Amino acid sequence: MKTMKRSRITLTEAAMLTPALVLLLAFLVVPFAMSIGLAFTNQPLLPGPIPTKFVGFRNFQRILGSIEFWHAFLNVLLFSAMVIPLQCGFALLSAILLNGQSKAKRFFQAVFFLPYITPMVVVCVVWSTLFQYPSGILNALFSALSFGLFEPVQWLHDPRTALPAITMLSAWQAYGFQMVIYMAGLQNISADLYEAAAIDGASGWSRFTKVTWPSLFETNVFILIITAIQALQLFTQVNILTQGGPQDATNTLVHYIYRSGFVIQKVGFASAGSLILFLLIVGVYALLSFLTRKNPVGENS
Amino acid sequence: MTRKRSLDLMRTVLLSALSALLVVPLIILFVSSLKGTRQEILADAGSFKAFLVPHPTLSNYADILGPKSMTPFLKYMANSALVLSGTVVLTLLVSSMAAFVLLRGRFAGRKLLLGIITALYIIPNETIMLPMLYESLALGITDTYWVQILPFVASPLFIFLFHQFFSQVPSSIGEAALIDGAGPARIFRMIYLPLNGPALATVAILQGMAMWNQYLWPLLSTNTDDFRPITVAIASFFGSDTILWNLAMAGSVMMMLPILFFFLTFQRFFIASVSSTAVKG
Repeated sequence: MKTMKRSRITLTEAAMLTPALVLLLAFLVVPFAMSIGLAFTNQPLLPGPIPTKFVGFRNFQRILGSIEFWHAFLNVLLFSAMVIPLQCGFALLSAILLNGQSKAKRFFQAVFFLPYITPMVVVCVVWSTLFQYPSGILNALFSALSFGLFEPVQWLHDPRTALPAITMLSAWQAYGFQMVIYMAGLQNISADLYEAAAIDGASGWSRFTKVTWPSLFETNVFILIITAIQALQLFTQVNILTQGGPQDATNTLVHYIYRSGFVIQKVGFASAGSLILFLLIVGVYALLSFLTRKNPVGENS
Repeated sequence: MTRKRSLDLMRTVLLSALSALLVVPLIILFVSSLKGTRQEILADAGSFKAFLVPHPTLSNYADILGPKSMTPFLKYMANSALVLSGTVVLTLLVSSMAAFVLLRGRFAGRKLLLGIITALYIIPNETIMLPMLYESLALGITDTYWVQILPFVASPLFIFLFHQFFSQVPSSIGEAALIDGAGPARIFRMIYLPLNGPALATVAILQGMAMWNQYLWPLLSTNTDDFRPITVAIASFFGSDTILWNLAMAGSVMMMLPILFFFLTFQRFFIASVSSTAVKG
């Protein structure tokens, strides 16, 4: 009787589990396996006169030997180096200002979160008017702040300012996410720690450096890693606004892969690029689990 | 006491300054969408005039929504709404069922299976887009709604999130129902789904936002007005040599309005959803 019941349960369970497994297999596992396979071939996007054949590590060698790849990689690093402090600094500041109870909290929280719910396409539309040359609002603002010393620039069309411009709009759009995570992190800090600090006569700033900042270790690691992974995957705003230009100044890894696959139409080459991107992301995740495991604050709590 | 009050004042001033900085681009968007021509939008872009509209007109909206529009904007918007609703409903069903079985099932290897599924989260979409395109061609589903829905329905992130939420339900409740003769499907439907409203809301919001934003995959997998989403329509105002600012602005506002409505109505849920993704770390 009991075994009968169990086998029947398993059948229902199988029926409930199968749709997810089939879809995961079809749209994640199989394409990923195909991607690995294609990375070692010279497959073009459309069937051509040259038969597809196995080429070993040639695609990887060519990518790692190409200036365009390293330029894109450097751009992603530069972007991270600019976007992480900008985005996380503002996010932490807002989270600290919003921490605790106040009547206006809900209102300000909603306002701060608005950019995050704004679709990237819309962000691109709005920010390109802000970037207008010579009389866009950013040029006007910088020139007013510097008493006219600032010469108006063609933000998105100048190789020196295109990546900083992409950084500004990306930080503006995504910062609500970091703010919410910081708010959750701040709420997890025990009030006892602050009381102890108050008894020791700690001032506002030393309370921040001695209690708040060290307690946010795990939150900081999480935010750092997530932001780094998002930076590695930077694409939409670049594709809409600059197509990687001018002079590759805003080319990114995903844009490089996209261009190899769909513009130059070398699928094998693009797949090899995708695998390199995948390995980079795995590396960042590995760093995450390593750092959170070695954390002394986490062991105490 | 006065010190505390002055601190509060400083905090409010700082908060207001930050909010002003953040909403300026959105205010410019709404105001510009009411200006008659793209020349007017550009001429006003650099001064306080960007915030003023002396002669508000809905002509841009009429242009993109009306019958003479060069892109059938409403159709694109409806496509996005349809793909979004289809994906959200199927995701809630498929991912939650899988999570339930992986949590409450008794078969060997379910923990391993959950581990493997969670690990799949690491595969970035960009890595598999080309093979997915080949697959869609082979399955004959390119340029349909399905090609935009099916790849996102079973998600490692959402299966994991449902698993986390479901494991908060005391297993004794399920066992009591089991003794009463209820099967897993019934326990899932009568106990786990009703008890996990916040989980359903979280996944619906996260997936809804992701789907409304879909850009690269629909761009690659569809090619006619019949199925393309709103993001592609707005990007098309942008692609040509002369940017159609007025149309892009009106289109962007149209794209913002539904999210704004949902956000203002369910603000608490939106923010809770986003912070629940941090559990993953």
